[in-house]
Amino acid sequence: MSSALRNGTSVIAFALAIATAGALRVSAQARAPAPVESELDIPPVPGNVARALCFGFHSLLGDFTLLQSIQLLPQRKGDMPAELAGPIDRRLSRLLEYSVDVDPKFVGAYRFAASALPHETLDGKVYGVLKAAHLLQQGLRERPDDWHMGFLLGFLQSYYLRDFPAAARSLAVAAAQPGSPPWVGLLSTRLAAQGGELQLATSLAEAMLAQANEDETRKAWQDRVDTLHMERDLRAIEDAAQRYREMKGVPARSVRALVSAGLLPGAPLEPHGGHYVLEGDGTARSTAAERLRVYGTNENLEIH
Amino acid sequence: MSAVLTIAGNTVRELVRGKLLYSLLLFTALFVAGSLLVAQLTIGNWFRIILDMGLGAMEVAGALLAIVIGVGVVAGEIQRKTILPTLAKPVSRWAFCLGRFLGLVFLLTVNGAVILLVLRVVLGLAGYTLNATALQAAALLCVEFAVLAAVAVLFASFSTPILAGSYAFAFFFIGHLLPDLRTFAERSRSGAARTVAQAFYHLLPNLELLNLKSHASNELPVTAAYAWSAAGYGMAYAAVALALAILIFSRRDLG
Repeated sequence: MSSALRNGTSVIAFALAIATAGALRVSAQARAPAPVESELDIPPVPGNVARALCFGFHSLLGDFTLLQSIQLLPQRKGDMPAELAGPIDRRLSRLLEYSVDVDPKFVGAYRFAASALPHETLDGKVYGVLKAAHLLQQGLRERPDDWHMGFLLGFLQSYYLRDFPAAARSLAVAAAQPGSPPWVGLLSTRLAAQGGELQLATSLAEAMLAQANEDETRKAWQDRVDTLHMERDLRAIEDAAQRYREMKGVPARSVRALVSAGLLPGAPLEPHGGHYVLEGDGTARSTAAERLRVYGTNENLEIH
Repeated sequence: MSAVLTIAGNTVRELVRGKLLYSLLLFTALFVAGSLLVAQLTIGNWFRIILDMGLGAMEVAGALLAIVIGVGVVAGEIQRKTILPTLAKPVSRWAFCLGRFLGLVFLLTVNGAVILLVLRVVLGLAGYTLNATALQAAALLCVEFAVLAAVAVLFASFSTPILAGSYAFAFFFIGHLLPDLRTFAERSRSGAARTVAQAFYHLLPNLELLNLKSHASNELPVTAAYAWSAAGYGMAYAAVALALAILIFSRRDLG
């Protein structure tokens, strides 16, 4: 009987303790001070020092700072003024720099930086491009085997920075990596042609043609080589037309007139089977194919 | 040799009965499984997060077991005097040390294999599989455990359990800092500091040579020649540390 009483008392005491803990928890929660907003920031130790102090766990620290930056990104809203978005941008870029400082081979951090750092504001400015390009240049040095590095850097250089020769070179690096889609190389030659580096574009296209081993790929690269040769001819014709106008004071009427004037060694052969036409304004065109151009670039953006 | 195997078998049986092994294994398995939840916080880096957490947990658990148990199976026995009945039998001291070490390394390898299996399952649930570098990294972690176990036995052969454990943990941390110690030696302006740093660099185990975790998570291939030579280095270092432990233990007065 006394044993049963003892057991009963123990059960009641246990239940009472649970109930008290629950009640005090509710009470404490109700009286709790307002939470202090925690600032997601990088650890105070510099990345290169932290890398040594991780005792071999630096890739885990890189993951941690990347996760922090991913949690931070939603705080930056599209319609946020620059003065509010600025601190978030700075923390974001510092976290991502930290990630690749502690683990320079971290492809995921470079790729996230390329998409998260650049952002346009309502007043026509673009922030984070230079920082992202800087990180991707490091990514290209550290992980040249990953075609995304060259591709993403080339995208930033062409779309935002309008540095087409540099973009073409970055894309050419990407195109040479295993696993890169065939259009990366084609895009590289298009950018090189747009940037005026026709020789670079032609050399790249001829190299890709030489190593292409599928009929479809060979055809695509042969088309690109032909188009680049066409571009070379069109530029030579336009250059000769300019000199003709300077010599004679009137525009040339045809390509044949340029040849007769000794400004061209002969009428160039259009590689697609058409022929070249010289327009009244001095520009040249082919009757068989369009010239290479890069579309969709925006010259009005202010880049930061 | 049969005495060595008998002691190794007894060591495994003793440790399997203990709670430390299971609690640490359970904690590690839960941690590896939890990586699946953490990976959901990221964008497109699931494989890396799971692998980093899995291999990291494997290293922490293995290093803890190697040091804590490595110290316990020698220094603990000396402190509790439970070693005396064993040595009263026709068992030499070198056989005792070697048997303890082999039993511990066997258990550490099984422990590593179980964690690797859990990691494989978790990766499978996320739609990934272990790459070749991850397997090489796990194998080299097991070699690292052997080095740490040998170092723990070495310190346990002449010191108290707490001191031996502290020394062995210091070896673990410094072993992963050795590349920086070398950089320090190269950049130091003081000749004495350079000499001391270089001496420590050559004396201490370079555990970073056995660390392929970052290569595995970055999916960077590592040549088999490197993996074999690093594993050979680790095993040779463990053998030297164990030989030193046997030498010291053979001359120690246990009374």
